[in-house]
Amino acid sequence: MTNAIDIRSATRTFGRTTALDGVSFAVPEGSICGLLGRNGAGKTTIMSIIAGQDRPTSGRVEVLGHGPFENESVLSRISFVRDNQRYPDNYRLGHVLRIAPEFAPNWNADVAAELAEGFRIPTKTDIKKFSRGQLSSVAIILGLASRAAVTLLDEPYLGLDVTARALFHDMLLRDYTAHPRTVLLSTHLIEESEKLFDRVVVVDRGRVRVDSDVDDARDLAFTLSGTTAAVDELARRHTVLRSHTVSGLKSVTVLGAMDDAVRADADGLGARIAPASLQDLVAAFGEESSESIEEGARA
Amino acid sequence: MSAVVSTVRLHLNQRVGTFAVPLYITATVAAFSVLLSLLFWRSGSLPGTAGWIQGSQSNPGIAYGLVGFLVYFGVASVAATFPFALTLGATRRSFVAGTLLWYAITAAYITVVLAVLTAIELATDHWFAGFYIFDVYVLGAGDLLRLVPIVFLGVLTALTVGGVFAASWVRFAARGPQLIAAGAVVVIVAALIIVLPAVGTLVAAFQPWWLAVAAGVVILASSVGSWLLLRPAIVR
Repeated sequence: MTNAIDIRSATRTFGRTTALDGVSFAVPEGSICGLLGRNGAGKTTIMSIIAGQDRPTSGRVEVLGHGPFENESVLSRISFVRDNQRYPDNYRLGHVLRIAPEFAPNWNADVAAELAEGFRIPTKTDIKKFSRGQLSSVAIILGLASRAAVTLLDEPYLGLDVTARALFHDMLLRDYTAHPRTVLLSTHLIEESEKLFDRVVVVDRGRVRVDSDVDDARDLAFTLSGTTAAVDELARRHTVLRSHTVSGLKSVTVLGAMDDAVRADADGLGARIAPASLQDLVAAFGEESSESIEEGARA
Repeated sequence: MSAVVSTVRLHLNQRVGTFAVPLYITATVAAFSVLLSLLFWRSGSLPGTAGWIQGSQSNPGIAYGLVGFLVYFGVASVAATFPFALTLGATRRSFVAGTLLWYAITAAYITVVLAVLTAIELATDHWFAGFYIFDVYVLGAGDLLRLVPIVFLGVLTALTVGGVFAASWVRFAARGPQLIAAGAVVVIVAALIIVLPAVGTLVAAFQPWWLAVAAGVVILASSVGSWLLLRPAIVR
């Protein structure tokens, strides 16, 4: 399968701050990939580089087989609206809907109109006065109605109510099914979104921690819970990503697959063992100490 | 080329700002100029006298009224529109080219508006009442052959200067405009130090086309500066 997005050893520094540190991953054409991680993990920087709005300090980025930076033919096939998108002064929804088709060759006005109505976006209010949810709605319209070959959705749920989130899910799946494209979606609402994903990339502190099919990602870690002594004993043989203790009871998320031997040990010590959810995995990598990341990197 | 045209359309998408606001400002300045004339009339000055004409034609209100807005418009055309243009898929190259083209269109539009209003003012013998609003020294004193380059180059200068300040802000945040302003002050003071001993000779030899050349230099420097600043700029 051809990769729509291919990032190799991308590093991005801002002065003394390293936002991305040797990031490598690929997104196959036609897949919906979740880009997950804590605030400041590097998700928006990655998307910004893919969209040609930024350049890596070192490394290589290809979108649809070409470098995106200042590449008009590639940029016309990418849609990226950042979570803190700025709009020209005095812009209203009508301004956006009028100009977006000029840059998006596959723009679909019906999709835009349906979303605008569904989200109940005000038409006579300046965008700069919009609520957080209304701003997200405008970004979703730009992202979905453009039907771009590579659609980057940066925190599309921010501020959206439950009805609006359902509308977004329905519309994304319906339009994606009719007009397949590559979608890279960053979000913190992992449980709500994971049914959309066929791949996930988890980043933390500018590094890729997980890059796999969504089903394989669930096998990357598991959770152990029980008495502190039992859990400590079981966890001794694993890399602990996250640990939580409450009055003699402990729960840990550890790296590795749940095999029969681990199950038997857990049964023997009276501990509970369960596969880590995608949310557990992201939370665990986000909580992992710098030291263990360094150890992991050395290993 | 298509992305350049798209960028022009992106700027023209703000129809009120491009086409209506200059008219509002012109109408407001005209209203104030009329009120001012009435004030002088009531205080004893007579329309049509040499003093009245001299005083009325010295009123630079129309220039002051438009320049502030045009510099702001130049700033907004880059500071607020550049991030959105990149979001839509414009390249930096097409954004800068399209923005310069839009500056020229805006300058031509305002030039036509002021030329038509001046022609009407002259044809009606100053609105049938001796009111000098557009037939003023700063717009060429009723000479359309002087008005056209003055307004076109003046508007283009204001827009490109606003644009380069905004480009420096996009590139370097608050430090950008500060550096440009400091650099401009240094250049102006250095030029004054050099020419001050000969200022009398220069004033005596002054030709209006010097201003056109100066405007051309500022427009060119601002345009090239905008491109150099935006070429590596990123959106955050």
